[in-house]
Amino acid sequence: MSAATIKVPVGPQHPALKEPENFTFHVEGENIVKVDVRVGYAHKGIEKLMESKTYLQNIPLVERICGICNTAHTVCYTQNVEYLYEKPIPRRAEYLRVLIEELNRIHSHLLWLGVVGHEVGFETLFMYVWRDREVVLDLIEALTGNRISMAFATVGGTRRDLTSTIEHKIRKGLDLLEERTKYYKRTVAVDPTILARSRDVGILTPEEAVQLCAVGPFRRASSIKEDVRADDPYAAHDEIPFNIIAYDTCDFYARIMVRVDETLESINMVRYCLDHIPSGPVRVRLPNTPPVAEAVSKVEAPRGENIHYVRSNGTDKPARYKVRAPTSANLAPLVQTMTSRGKYDVYVADIPVLLAGIDPCMCCMDRSVKFIDDSKGKKWVWTMEQLKRCMSKNVVRR
Amino acid sequence: MKLVSWSRASSPWILHFNTGGCNACDIEVLAALDPRFDVERFGVLLKGSPRHADVMVVTGPVNRQVRDRVIRVYEQMAEPKFVVSVGNCCNSAGVYRGCYNVYSGLDTVIPVDAYVYGCPPKPENILQAIAALQAKIKGG
Amino acid sequence: MSLQVEESIANEVRSFLGENLLEVKVPRPRRLYLKVKREDYKRAAKHMVEKMGLNHISTITAADAGQEIDVMAYLFGRGVEVMLKAAVPKMNPKIPSLTDIVPGVTFFEREAHDLFGVVFDGHPDLARFILPEDWPDGVYPLRKEYKVTRLKGPREVS
Repeated sequence: MSAATIKVPVGPQHPALKEPENFTFHVEGENIVKVDVRVGYAHKGIEKLMESKTYLQNIPLVERICGICNTAHTVCYTQNVEYLYEKPIPRRAEYLRVLIEELNRIHSHLLWLGVVGHEVGFETLFMYVWRDREVVLDLIEALTGNRISMAFATVGGTRRDLTSTIEHKIRKGLDLLEERTKYYKRTVAVDPTILARSRDVGILTPEEAVQLCAVGPFRRASSIKEDVRADDPYAAHDEIPFNIIAYDTCDFYARIMVRVDETLESINMVRYCLDHIPSGPVRVRLPNTPPVAEAVSKVEAPRGENIHYVRSNGTDKPARYKVRAPTSANLAPLVQTMTSRGKYDVYVADIPVLLAGIDPCMCCMDRSVKFIDDSKGKKWVWTMEQLKRCMSKNVVRR
Repeated sequence: MKLVSWSRASSPWILHFNTGGCNACDIEVLAALDPRFDVERFGVLLKGSPRHADVMVVTGPVNRQVRDRVIRVYEQMAEPKFVVSVGNCCNSAGVYRGCYNVYSGLDTVIPVDAYVYGCPPKPENILQAIAALQAKIKGG
Repeated sequence: MSLQVEESIANEVRSFLGENLLEVKVPRPRRLYLKVKREDYKRAAKHMVEKMGLNHISTITAADAGQEIDVMAYLFGRGVEVMLKAAVPKMNPKIPSLTDIVPGVTFFEREAHDLFGVVFDGHPDLARFILPEDWPDGVYPLRKEYKVTRLKGPREVS
């Protein structure tokens, strides 16, 4: 590290998604050489609160760990509690859980695509994608009663059932979504703005991805074909066929394409669910107090592998509940993608897209970026808009 | 005076601040900007800096880490300024009431002018809040 | 449903550790829960990651078990999720860190340190990670002794 190292803290707040986190970048010129992470701005103490509520009361709380991939947390939680009872739930409920999960995945990936458009400066893409995302939210509302945070899965099955009217609505909505997603895929794959800001940006080699425990589309964009739905099938995933999407360019472009392709796969999976869903009850009543046991449950959230651990002590409240959301596993590889090493150079202007690349659910970056130049004794502040303008200047140079 | 109130009410520029919530309210605030709900027809613009904004839209439960930043951003805004608290968590800590790191509502930290209920509130609720705030400003 | 893969993993660990392997449970397919002593925790994890192909560590966490704190590492490989548990006494909650085997666990261990006070020997930087800066030292919120008190805001009328 040379003498002219500048520290660049990027703290809480982000126009498109948000949750505060604070990054301090040590910079030489425009190259980032080291990154320090400070999280905790969104830390609320949920795990402690869960120990003082019953298993049923915890469902809305678990859901609000993340408002965007909320079904992943509810399905994982209810599955975990059902593992304690060691009682199987109705097959129809398992299919319904997959249905809501894949609809949520479509919604989350479309949301992220819009955010990428916003980050890269392509505001039109943001508006178009979010308009189409409303279609998915309408389908979710028809099925569950709320657009977001719907607590569809409950301990023992699901709260509501699928009727033929809703099924018909979902099929029509899926046709529209498929056509629009294919259009976005064609647009994104050839658009020069997106290509310039995503090709060879934020490389994470496959070895690094394994060593640093990357999960989800972040891992699959480094050509590792692993997915919880295939490796550790839960709910009805043992019967529903799908392709694991992996790209081998290991850069931000691969992360975009993995998510777009996964959206198309999810649309097919929802159609398969609707065609093959068995009839039967959707819920089995379980007693309030599970036996003394421990259980571990994993689910593929839109952002990656979501793992929960529960320990029961014979009362109707959990003794310990641990939630490891996928973004906290992706922080370490994120820091690696943001550090210049060997033949991979990372520039300050790449910061917004790299932060968007892991699809942050618990991170948020400051609108203002503080620059401190120790050698010259200068301090100045840039807003996120100025940082993005710096990004466009760099693109022209490349 | 009426002209001033009318001009203030016609273009409330908002600053969106998330104090560490689950993001559901944030995406509903942003959904209010998208073509279906289109809050920009009310003259609302999303701004990046507290100096440019009239209305601070806050989501998420205020926790210990973020409290000083909320107060600082509020003080940086120029008078007259208004605060809208969006979502149950911001109004009263919502589901997180009882957590060791969460205050019982935004109004224990800064004064609030409008409360939007819901978990998360639908974009229509947020539009209703903006319209009510505009009526309040016009009224003086 | 045959549990061959889970049993073969358990047998391999047993032949590596001998009678130091305290407990083995196979509650369902693709789950294996192992309990080891604190001294064997790191070498068991190292053997599983490097020699047995379980090279993905999902997370590291802890749980309060009265006089002891259980430290748990979750490893995934060969289609099986293995939970490796080791108990440390609450008065001296030290356990070796796994960051030199799998560098990606650095943030998991920092979080367990913040919330339970477990000290991971060999961790490069056990700084405060998830709790606020003005949180008092030595207070670990997820231990059972900690009682939650309501935060009072500056504008609140008592």
